[in-house]
Parts: sequence; C-alpha cells; structure tokens
Amino acid sequence: MAKVLFINPVVREEDVPRHIPYGIALLATLAMEKGHLVQVYDENAWRKGEAVLRQVLTADEWDVVALGGITTAYGSIKTIVRLARRLCPRALIVLGGGVLTSLPREMMGFLPEVDVGVIGEALVTFNEILAMLDSGVRDWGKVLGTISRGPDGALIMSGQRPLIENLDSLPYPAWDLFPLEEVYFKNSESLFSEEGMMAKRRLDINGSLGCSLVCKFCFHLGITGDMRYEEDEAGVVNVAFDRKGSYTRAIRYHSPEYIVKMVKFAYDKYAIDFVAFIDENLMTMDQHSGRTWLKEICRLWHEYGLAPQKNPDGTWTGVCWGGTSHATLCNPEILKIMREAGCAQLVYGYESFAPHVMKSIGKGATPASNMRSFFWTLEAGIRPIPNQIIGFPNEDFDSLRANMEAWKKLGLVVKPHFATPYPGSEWFTVYRKQIERQYQGDLEQFILDLGDASKSSAIISHNFNAVELIGLRDLMMSFNWRQLDEYERIWRINRGIPEGKPSTLYPGAGPHLAIDEPAKPSLTLVAGA
Amino acid sequence: MSDVLKGNFKPQNAVVVPEEKPETLEERFERTALKRLGGSIAFVSKKKVMWDLKDKV
Ligand code: B12
Repeated sequence: MAKVLFINPVVREEDVPRHIPYGIALLATLAMEKGHLVQVYDENAWRKGEAVLRQVLTADEWDVVALGGITTAYGSIKTIVRLARRLCPRALIVLGGGVLTSLPREMMGFLPEVDVGVIGEALVTFNEILAMLDSGVRDWGKVLGTISRGPDGALIMSGQRPLIENLDSLPYPAWDLFPLEEVYFKNSESLFSEEGMMAKRRLDINGSLGCSLVCKFCFHLGITGDMRYEEDEAGVVNVAFDRKGSYTRAIRYHSPEYIVKMVKFAYDKYAIDFVAFIDENLMTMDQHSGRTWLKEICRLWHEYGLAPQKNPDGTWTGVCWGGTSHATLCNPEILKIMREAGCAQLVYGYESFAPHVMKSIGKGATPASNMRSFFWTLEAGIRPIPNQIIGFPNEDFDSLRANMEAWKKLGLVVKPHFATPYPGSEWFTVYRKQIERQYQGDLEQFILDLGDASKSSAIISHNFNAVELIGLRDLMMSFNWRQLDEYERIWRINRGIPEGKPSTLYPGAGPHLAIDEPAKPSLTLVAGA
Repeated sequence: MSDVLKGNFKPQNAVVVPEEKPETLEERFERTALKRLGGSIAFVSKKKVMWDLKDKV
C-alpha cells in the first residue's frame, strides 16, 4: 500500500482560504478506499510557510507526493515541488488539476521535478498510478490520462482517459482530512447575499460536471468532455480544447437523491448551515434533465428537513444555499421553487450588456435575456450576482456605455473583471502569440502573473491596452460620462480614426488593425484642443 | 493547534507548528490603514523601509 501525501497549494493568497479542494478531497477518499495510507496537508488553509512544509515533507517516507489545483496556484506548486524533490528524493511526484491539464507538455517542462502529470479527470487514473507503484512497475505510459518522462527524458503522453459515467458511484469527499473547524468554517461568510454573509458553517458541494455553453473565456478543466487529444503535423499528440467549429461537452450530474443525502449527511455530521454549489452551471443540468433535476433537489430538500426556517433576526435553522445560473436557461417557475427550498443567491455571468459583445463571446445570452433573468431572480427573492467583464476583444466605447446604462437602470454595483485568457480557454488558443509577446515570449511569466481577473494580466482587447482598461473601469464605476466622452475623442485621434467611422479597430467592425500590430505613438494632449 | 497533517494513519514524525506571535501594534496599524488606503490615508510600511543614511544628509 502506498503512503500518499496530498498537498493543496496556496491559491488566492490575498483572501482567506474559503474552499476545500473538492478534487483532492475526492481523490483522498478513493485512495483510502483502496487501502492506501493517506495524509493531507492543506497548505492553502494553514499557510504556515516553508518551515512547516519542510516538516510535512519529512514527516514520513512518502511514496507519493500528490498535488494540483487551478492555474493560479502555479507559483505555490512550483515552490512545493522543488522542495519536495529535494526532501523526498524517492517519492513519486504527481501533479494534476487545471494547471496541468490546460498545458501538459509546457508544465512538465516548467516543472522538471514532476514525475507524472494527470491530465483531466483523475478519479480512476490516480488509483491506477498507486496500484502500478505498489506492483513495483513504473510504466506510466500504460496508465491512461498521464504524461510522464521516458528514460531519455522525452515526454510520454498515454491515451486519453475516458470520463466515468456514473457520478453517483463516487464516495463523499474526505472532508475530515481538511481543517473544517480550524479554518474553513471560520471563513464561511460569502458576500453574495444576506444569508451568505451570515453563514457560519458553509460547505461546498458539487452536484454536476459540465456546462452546455461555449464561453470563449472559460476553461472546464478537461473534466467536462471539453478536452480532445489531437496530433499535429509532426505527429506530436497534445490536448485541445474549445476552438471555432470544434466544441465538445459531456453533461454529467449526480441524482437528486445522492446530492440531498450528501447534504443531509453533512448537516447531521457537521451542522452545516449553508451549501455553496460549485457546479459550473446548475441550469444546464436542469435543462438537460427535462426540467426535473432542480425541482427534485428542492423537493427532497424539504423532505429531508433541510429547507431553512427563518427567525426574525435573519438567522435560520436548516440549510440555505446558492449556485450558478444562466440567463437563458432559467425560468420563473424553477427560481420560485428554488427560493422556497432555501436558495439565497445565484451567480449570473452577465459579462456585458452590449449586444455586439454578447454575440461574440459564445455565451448564448443577450442583454435582453440578461435583464429578464435578473428580474425573474429578484422577483423570486433570490439575489442575482451580476458578474461583469470588460476588455473583450471587440470591447469599445459603445459597449462600455451600454454597461454603464444597464448598471444605472438595474442598480448594479460592480467592479468588472478584465477579460483574461486563462490557459485552456478558447481565447488562450486564439491569442496565444499575442499573450506570449506581452511577456517577452515567456509563457511561464504569464502563468505566474495570473490571479483574479480583477487585476490586469495579458490583454486581448483589440481596442484598449491595460492602462486604458484600468482607467476606463474607474470612469465607468464612477459614472463619469464626461471624461469617457473626452477620452473617446483622444483615442480616435491617437488611432487615426476619421469622423463618421465607428470607434473600433476590431476586424469586421471598422478599419482592420490587428491586436498584434505595433501601437501608434500616443498623442494624448492634442485632442482637448 | 490541531494537526496540520490529517489522514488515516499516524506519520512517523510529528509536525510541530511554531506558536504564532500575536499581532504587534505596528502590524495592526498598517493592516487597518491598508484597508482604507487612498487620498489622505497613506502610510510607511516600516518593514519595507530601506534605510539609506547617506542620502539623508
Ligand atoms: C472552487 C473553485 C475555485 C476556488 C479554488 C478551487 C481549488 N482549490 O481547486 C477559488 C475560489 C479560489 C477559485 C478561484 C478562481 N477560479 Co475557480 N473554480 C472553482 C470551481 C467553482 C470548482 C472547482 C472544483 O472543485 N471542481 C470540481 C472538482 C471535482 O474538480 P477539481 O478540483 O479540479 O479536481 C479534478 C481534476 O481537476 C483533478 N485534480 C484536481 N486536483 C488534483 C490533484 C491531484 C494530485 C491530481 C492527481 C488530480 C487533481 O482531479 C479531480 C478529479 O477528476 C470551478 C468550476 C467547476 N465547477 O469546476 C472554478 C474554476 C476552476 N475556476 C476558474 C477560474 C477562472 C478562477 C479564477 C481565476 C476566477 C477569478 N475570480 O478571476 C479565480 C482565481 C483566483 C486566484 N486569485 O487565484 C476556472 C478555471 C481556472 C483554471 N484555468 O484553472 C474554473 C474551471 C471556472 C471556469 N469554468 O471558468 N476557484
């Protein structure tokens, strides 16, 4: 039996830790079910620095040090694997999650300390690695869904791992191996609704994997049917994700019984008072099930005594909850049922209120459907969380104004994200050259720079650079129409756009100037004249 | 402090987490000021000061 040390790397360091890494927690249960000896060090939760990490890495003779996470955890992962290689020379270092899956070959190059990368879904792959290790063989090329190194150092990518079909066959995540009381419950607050704010014992639950939509800024971790293996002209196989004309998806969801029983289990065992569904899009599943899935979850929520009973001071007994919705896939009937079962908040990636922007991002929604869902959700008594993004490839002054008008009309208080081409997204594939150029050809620097999309990293807007986007966001938030108009005049002069032509450089919308053409020198002051 | 390592067996060596030092007044002040940074709220992050006495005279 293998001795496995899971490490959850630090992510979003600027905030307190709020989320148990669901994937690692599942892998830990699955490994224990097979009899392996497992320890978890949740470095993101503890944040105790290198001295403690050293002790952890030398606490035993680890056979496997396994870690993974989303792309923005890369900096922490890099530090951990370097130390792990030095302190655990005989351990197999395994890396998985979105960070590896989006760029398997590059990551294995950036991190020579990693022995085996797990591409996409690891639910079966990881235990197969442990079984092979136990058998004394190290022929990783035979384990589907891996990338490893041959004797000559060349990368070996095994065949693609099929996704498991029945999510209900999965055990519950190993919550007990994470510091629930010490860290996570203390950080239960989620500022998305009154109930979210008051939550004292929040737990994340995943009900489904998949999303029917093809938003070009989105990445789906290679675990939602979004990933294909493709061979290039040189015969090199690599992963491929969403691309124009080539979109694939698998929609998988737990049964309502499985979900509600799991919540009831957590309610009885940990006295949770709030569930945050981390599903990419609850409405996709509802639609896919013929509008039965959410209704049944809500019915069972009542049946299992989880529907919250509110007290006059806003506190409650039972379990409030929230998740992610979609503008065109929700309807008033289901929203009302959800509210009655305790749904307090729903994230809507409204992204933009400009028709031409909405048309270009692959979301399948329009400003009109955004507004409709907004009012339906409010009427149901649920707080819609109206996420906004600026800096899309075809963002222009008109779209910025359309957003401001909508914010005014709908009472939205937002600080938009910047459109960010995270690896694995369609826009990363499309703009990769331009992204690398912004980091002097050094892709790793871009990855290290990635964090919340509320700060600027690589810019994919054809019209605005980082300085402009940061300034424009400020003007938008303070509804400073005057200086926005003024800047548009300056911008047109700087870009040489004559009177009567639209203020945009986006191909097809105005003069064709690609994002990678060198910018003209700015003549900021002349325009005021 | 609870165990930072959690699992289904007892590892050979215990992990000892050093006691956390309580926040100093200086740290508390700088953390509070940072939350309200902007305009007239500006402050010196004392640990980041690079003393260069030569330039002072
Ligand atoms: C919870 C969550 C977070 C958490 C952290 C999660 C974590 N520690 O993994 C927080 C809140 C910090 C977060 C932040 C962000 N997130 Co987020 N987040 C999610 C969310 C909602 C759930 C992730 C999840 O648990 N999925 C389900 C489980 C089963 O998958 P999993 O944990 O990845 O595990 C599986 C595999 O990936 C793999 N695996 C994972 N870890 C490991 C480890 C080992 C050893 C192995 C072998 C395998 C392995 O095996 C598992 C089983 O198959 C997803 C959306 C979604 N539903 O997936 C987005 C998602 C991961 N986030 C995303 C994004 C874009 C962000 C932000 C950048 C958004 C923003 N605000 O700007 C920020 C980054 C903030 C920052 N400054 O770093 C993207 C992808 C990011 C990426 N490129 O990797 C996702 C997919 C959403 C989307 N569709 O756009 N996020």
